[in-house]
Amino acid sequence: MKLLYSPGACSLGIHVILEEIGKPFAAERFSTRDGGTYTPEFIAMNPKSKVPTLLRDDGSVLTEFQTIAFWLAKSNPTAKLIPTDLEGETRVLEMLDYICGTIHPQAFTRQFRAVNFARDAEDEPRVVAQGKALAEKYLALLAQSWKGAEWLLPSGFSVADCALFFLERWCLRAGITPPARIAAHYEAMMARPAVARALAAEAA
Amino acid sequence: MKLFYAPGACSIGIHLLLEEIGKPYEAVLLNLREGAQFKPEFTSINAKSKVPTLLRDDGSVLTEYPAIAYYLAVTNPEAKLLPADPAMAARALELTDFAVATLHMQGFARMFRPANFAPSEADHEAVKARGREIYEKGLAVMDRALEGQDYLCGEFSIADSALFYVCFWWAARLGHALPANVAAHYDRMKARPAVARTMAAEGLA
Repeated sequence: MKLLYSPGACSLGIHVILEEIGKPFAAERFSTRDGGTYTPEFIAMNPKSKVPTLLRDDGSVLTEFQTIAFWLAKSNPTAKLIPTDLEGETRVLEMLDYICGTIHPQAFTRQFRAVNFARDAEDEPRVVAQGKALAEKYLALLAQSWKGAEWLLPSGFSVADCALFFLERWCLRAGITPPARIAAHYEAMMARPAVARALAAEAA
Repeated sequence: MKLFYAPGACSIGIHLLLEEIGKPYEAVLLNLREGAQFKPEFTSINAKSKVPTLLRDDGSVLTEYPAIAYYLAVTNPEAKLLPADPAMAARALELTDFAVATLHMQGFARMFRPANFAPSEADHEAVKARGREIYEKGLAVMDRALEGQDYLCGEFSIADSALFYVCFWWAARLGHALPANVAAHYDRMKARPAVARTMAAEGLA
């Protein structure tokens, strides 16, 4: 199993999941900042040029954060990263989709890649401001609808927490103060040994 | 079971899955043009103001296309909407996510709502062109995935419902041509009785 990642990108969430599972895996860095995902080597593995990308032991490639998270959780039941009942499983998927399909691309991509949203440099601050406002709105919604205790969902710790974690790191980067509920979740995530290992590996 | 939908929106993919399942359900039209999704009657059901939204019989609400599709597939195994093999089921989810999060939300969203992507009106044509580029690249990935088979995962699955709605937008709403394998898939989808019923129910037939 090999994870293709870019330091600090959303692939950090999958990196944490692999550390939580605790089985041996390789991680290879393709920095998006240096165009690593557009090299022929990367495109040959994933023509969508995106991280996370997972190379499985049978040589097949799996893409899309939600799908990789779901598949890793299901294929490693002893790690207990997803509930075993359908309702719990569906709620995890719903949360993954909201974080990866809406909050990430709509709120944070606007802030980190304003150039993808505006052609004129003078428009970029407006795009960043819009991204920040959307992030605050989405995170407030997430905090208001929080149904779990320490973790995001009432079913307990899951891959959805690992997805929320990459957003929390991005809040730091973007200078966004998350709602108290989410700030407390970030602290709880930072206390997990698997998180520390993933962060250290990506910083190395 | 109650589905909140808007005619021709991405909810059409969930609508057709409900038709494929064939059990009784209610479809409630939400007029997005009149802003019904932002009115308290709806935000009290789904604060995210989006379709598809599924109101289940126990009163709980489920949102997000892939999560709704997955839930419907697993709770209705006889409809065979998800491959039984876990590796192939992961493929179905992967392709569903790609259609929804990339082709729809990155590609089409730029073409239909350029103002959400660029503050200056002068940039809107460039935003639309970028959306088209994202969509065409995604379509090429789908075309390869369909090589030598009728449906994305061999047999019909939730992934085909997602590919169908983005193709409907491209071919019927925008009048653009689809690559060969995807075009054949689109025709195959339209020939399914459940899809024909859905189109008729949404007033698109």
